Amino acid sequence: MSAISELTSLRRSRAKTADERRQQRKENSRDNKAGYLFLLPWLIGLVVITIGPMCASLYLSFTDYNLLQPPKWAGLANFQQMLHDQRLHQSLKVTFIYVFVGVPLQLALALAIAILLDKGMKGLSFYRSIFYLPSMLGGSVAIAVLWRQIFGTDGLVNQVLRLIGIDSHTGWVSDPRYALGTIIILHIWTFGSPMVIFLAGLRQIPVMYYEAAAVDGASRWSRFSRITMPLLSPIVFFNLVLQIIGAFQSFTQAFVVSGGSGGPSDSTLFYTLYLYNRGFANLQMGYASAMAWLLLVIIGGFTAINFFVSKYWVFYDD
Amino acid sequence: MSFSRRQFLAGATVAASASTLGLTACSGKSASSGDSATLSFGWWGNDVRNKETDQAIKAYTKANPKVTVKPQPGEWDSYWDKLSTEVAGKNAPDVIQMDMAYISQYAKNGTLLDLSQYGVDTSKFAPGTVDAGKIDGKLVGVNAGINSLTMMANPELFEKAGVELPDDTKWTWDDYLNISAELQAKGPAGTTGNQCAFPTDNLLQIWLRQNGKDLYTADGLAFDAGDLTTYLNLMVKFMNADAMPTASAINEEIGKSMDQSAFGTGKQGFALYWSNQLAAINEASGKSMKMLRPPTVAGDATQRNAWYKASMLWSGYAGTKNPEAVGKLINWWVNNPEAANICLDERGVPANTEMVKTIEPKLTDAGKATVKYLDDIKPELGDTPPAPPAGSSEIGDIMQRHTNDILFGKDKPETAAPKIISELQAAIKNAQ
Repeated sequence: MSAISELTSLRRSRAKTADERRQQRKENSRDNKAGYLFLLPWLIGLVVITIGPMCASLYLSFTDYNLLQPPKWAGLANFQQMLHDQRLHQSLKVTFIYVFVGVPLQLALALAIAILLDKGMKGLSFYRSIFYLPSMLGGSVAIAVLWRQIFGTDGLVNQVLRLIGIDSHTGWVSDPRYALGTIIILHIWTFGSPMVIFLAGLRQIPVMYYEAAAVDGASRWSRFSRITMPLLSPIVFFNLVLQIIGAFQSFTQAFVVSGGSGGPSDSTLFYTLYLYNRGFANLQMGYASAMAWLLLVIIGGFTAINFFVSKYWVFYDD
Repeated sequence: MSFSRRQFLAGATVAASASTLGLTACSGKSASSGDSATLSFGWWGNDVRNKETDQAIKAYTKANPKVTVKPQPGEWDSYWDKLSTEVAGKNAPDVIQMDMAYISQYAKNGTLLDLSQYGVDTSKFAPGTVDAGKIDGKLVGVNAGINSLTMMANPELFEKAGVELPDDTKWTWDDYLNISAELQAKGPAGTTGNQCAFPTDNLLQIWLRQNGKDLYTADGLAFDAGDLTTYLNLMVKFMNADAMPTASAINEEIGKSMDQSAFGTGKQGFALYWSNQLAAINEASGKSMKMLRPPTVAGDATQRNAWYKASMLWSGYAGTKNPEAVGKLINWWVNNPEAANICLDERGVPANTEMVKTIEPKLTDAGKATVKYLDDIKPELGDTPPAPPAGSSEIGDIMQRHTNDILFGKDKPETAAPKIISELQAAIKNAQ
């Protein structure tokens, strides 16, 4: 309890005259005013940058809006159109594959590396930085451009394959069979931020549990599955929720790798990329807004499921 | 009662936010009086164009010291995303470099000035070059240069492969196929015959016009699924004959700049370009490419129904504060020898015939070749195609997607053609 509130409750405990109560209200409202003033920068940001555009987008999702003319009310037409939009369904398929393959693999890799690094080896901070590096770069345009070169028909990957005797002429980013897989690998490669969080979580597990288990003759696997995993589960959950939300909103890699088209043959048509194309290339801002709201509902749905299921596997040690 | 820390901080916050508000209020004001004007000037381009445009802007502001011009150069792909957003935000550039593919859309929505009312003189323009920019009787775009499609060839590669250049007044699509396949087989490792221009609306339009059709009428499509099926089958023929790159190599080319493209690096025999791009492709490749007429169905170039296109147009933003200044600048750009001498033919051969005479001695070999090409093909010209209807700019995207399905073996021309047609019709309908 802070000193101020302690003082306040102390005053409250006495019987109060009307005068004192007025004084009290004045103080309270002054307190609140100061609080709101401090909040102001954030509040302005929230209203102007987040809530304002969200309300506008909700309104636009019920309109036919081409940016050049004022929006026309269209009711539920955009949402009805979404039911029959083959490309929308394709973009959902691509995005779901990306999320449900990319996120678990990325988290598994992050956890594995974190456990390796947790051995307290020499130069830990160096390795940690090295492994974290791709996360800082991975979302950038430069790396996506580089990726495009590395996985091109005459790129590094094929050259290495040829060196070891495989005559590969596959365009890993330009063939619809492999393009999405290549982007998923790029995503997995950026395992740094969940890794750092895992590492912090591992450090929190008291060593005495492991010592006790070792004395009882527990194998490595049972130490991992019965001590590490349960105690780390809140961290796993946190990473899972965050990464799923992030993965649903992926845009840059697909945009750069496919040259903005989601191609070849819509094989990398991410949901956000299709949304962007609808809005800015085809000038159907109303439809794009409706798509944005569907994405919000999908992400919200998955996050809710995540929290619901977490009751059965996340262990809180308190 | 003393002045508490909390009160002090609260006061400081108020003061800080008040001063911030004050600052924004100040910057909101802008001066505009008399002849003085600040104009923003948006264009897409390449290195050569950016340099020349900057130079011309400097020359203009030197002659008109009260005018300030803010250059906004861009790249083709992002230019249109940016422009539509700026129009929605009512802060589009005052002078807009426009393209035939988009002009209907912007004009229809009242975004563009009628430049004939603001002193832009087109009386010296060559016949047929003004109308392209007229929509519903208003001059919403001023021809910034004429060009025509040409099949560029890399003579150096032909020599290396020991293949002869075709006679472009007589060659047919079969010749195009055979020569491409021969080049690809005989050229140095990694050589491809042509860039596969089939997914572009340009090659489609060339082919359609040779067959007595066209891409668009004033408000819809001028071809049907049958035509498109035949055309797409031609592409399949090229693929099966190994006359063009593999499907994935074609896709890797997308988004590459000229100097990185297969043609620009000297690994490709033919590539379809606009005639005004010769100087740029020569600079990017360091070679001197040869301009050929596209192949014909009849094997006779005079029957190919060729056309001149406004390579780009100058438009004014209807929301500008200084329409007079916009008109004056555009008029200077297309009618003043000083401007013509700086920009020469980079945006295409000037529509003003006097300007062509002015600049001709100064042109590079590439420039002279372009003027000659446009002059040579005069007997082959047919009717000028109407401005593409609003929404039709999606054709590139739609064609690319479905031709990819065919190239990767996921679809057939017979089934892809009706899909392309219906998606295009929907796009045009959506934009009306």
